[in-house]
Amino acid sequence: MTTPAGRARRLWRQARLSARLLGAHRLRTALSASGLIAGVATVMVMVALGRGAERRVVERVRALGTDLLVVTAAPAPRIAGRARQVATTTQLRPADAPAILEEVLRARAAAPAVHRTLVVRANGRNTTVAVTGTTPEGLRIRGISAARGRVHDDHEERERRRVAVIGPILAATLFGTDDPIGRDLRIGNVPFEVVGVARSRGVDPGGADLDNALAIPLETALRRVVNVPYVDALYVQGRGTAELEALEADVRAMLRARHRIRDGVPEAFNVQNQAVILRTERAAARALDQLTVGVAALAVVVGGIGILAVMLISVRERTREIGLRRALGARRSDIRTQFVTESVLLAVAGGVGGVALGVLITLAGAALASWSLVIPWSAAALSVAASALLGIGVGTVPATRAARLEPIAALRGI
Amino acid sequence: MTDPHTTPVIAIRNLQRTYRKGGAETAVLRGVTADVGRGEFLAITGASGSGKSTLMNILGLLDQPDAGTYLLDGVDVSRADDDARSTLRSRHIGFVFQQFHLMERATALENVMLPLLYATDEHTDGDARARAALETVGLAHRLTHRPGELSGGEQQRVAIARALINDPSLLLADEPTGNLDERSGAEVMELLRSLQAAGRTIVLVTHDPTLAARADRAMVMRDGRLDARELAGAE
Repeated sequence: MTTPAGRARRLWRQARLSARLLGAHRLRTALSASGLIAGVATVMVMVALGRGAERRVVERVRALGTDLLVVTAAPAPRIAGRARQVATTTQLRPADAPAILEEVLRARAAAPAVHRTLVVRANGRNTTVAVTGTTPEGLRIRGISAARGRVHDDHEERERRRVAVIGPILAATLFGTDDPIGRDLRIGNVPFEVVGVARSRGVDPGGADLDNALAIPLETALRRVVNVPYVDALYVQGRGTAELEALEADVRAMLRARHRIRDGVPEAFNVQNQAVILRTERAAARALDQLTVGVAALAVVVGGIGILAVMLISVRERTREIGLRRALGARRSDIRTQFVTESVLLAVAGGVGGVALGVLITLAGAALASWSLVIPWSAAALSVAASALLGIGVGTVPATRAARLEPIAALRGI
Repeated sequence: MTDPHTTPVIAIRNLQRTYRKGGAETAVLRGVTADVGRGEFLAITGASGSGKSTLMNILGLLDQPDAGTYLLDGVDVSRADDDARSTLRSRHIGFVFQQFHLMERATALENVMLPLLYATDEHTDGDARARAALETVGLAHRLTHRPGELSGGEQQRVAIARALINDPSLLLADEPTGNLDERSGAEVMELLRSLQAAGRTIVLVTHDPTLAARADRAMVMRDGRLDARELAGAE
């Protein structure tokens, strides 16, 4: 009888009146929506934190370069049940780096490096830091450059000079606000001269502070500090992230041949692929995200139960009003629609309130606790949509109860 | 047959209504017959338990007779289903209750506009109609007041304005002065009379013979039957 447009107009007018009357019951409306507000706010904050963490991980890995392989000398993991398997200890040598550059076409640059954690003394203070010995090429591949002073050059590398580039945090630890350039420091008992302070590089994906570290020439490290003829790592730079897996395969094959590892014997070196690290870290962050959503969904359902309870009370309280509306011409379906509409209004108000609260908390956290600021608008939209659905879901039972009331009895308040 | 000028607004024939509670049956209406003409003001009186409320509910399409026929504006509505009765109530019947039944949180204007929500005809001028209705009952100055801010008489007049807004063929007033003091009650009766003078058909249900005496015609419910007896015969 009525047109769809007419029905829509009627629904709109009814919703407007319901909203007005819910607004008039301020306290009850706020209380019934509060569970949902808390649930949605929790979702928003947790997702915001998850996204922020993910973004930080991505930024860290990017800062290290996503076109980089790090080959490290380490025993291959033993496989359970294969007791007779021989773990070959491969010793990576400095000469492996130029060999890779020569034989692997996908490699754009390669450099050897040693890593140690050592006590460093200077200025009457001492601290334990990560010491890297590598060539000027290695510094370039790892993105180590001087903010002040300079980094060591090829000449100092060949001459095994005792020069060091120190990270900004280490500089502050040892020298405070003094200029460290030209000052002496000792790595173990070996004296070095500080020639540069490195540009800040932040924290690596493993959480190590790259600024609390120092770098010295590779040859100096091998002959004067660690006293071994082999290196811990080879840095290999490719021609882009896309090629990285092919590069990894090439480097593995080349090193196996060069170190004469027979087929079937596991190699005793690891290849760390920055692109793979990025992918796994991201996936981990995503998994956390999904867990968050699961937990949050529970919170939202609890919020929905709050609305259900209030709606059931509301139907009982408003029995006379329902009778009146029936007397004035409301069909059962009109009453049902009215209560579902009110439930949806409550739920959407809760959803929107929760989003607002979540955004506020995220902004406050970003300002006060330096959270990474990512406001998940997609999660916000999803929360509000889910709230609306929840409103329909929990509104159905009270609405059906209201619609079933007999007008005469309802008017008498029975 | 359905000439609006000659067809009675209400034509009931031999209405019967029996309540069953547990095993017991109580015949509340035992064959009620009556006509109410257009523009007429009929009062139905009777002691409590006489069946006048049941008759009122059936006339107001809130209840259905077990037997007999009810022609409203010439249309048989005695077997209409719930949805159809709802639509008929919306179009043809304006209720005035003893307890006013106003929504406490809503303004006078919102209360008066409530029936428009359920009207099948589109009213784009709902606000203007509600203002006009409130003006008719003398409350043009109380549009945004809530029931709590109005006197009993004013509340009942808001309820009457609400009953008028869909321009019903029948106004059903159930003890409309029962909750009012004498003066307010008299004012409400005066208002009903003036509405009749403007052409409304009114059925008033009351236990009070003096109120009934102010209608054009009074009938008495007794033992489930409606008699057009002299009012003096009522207790």
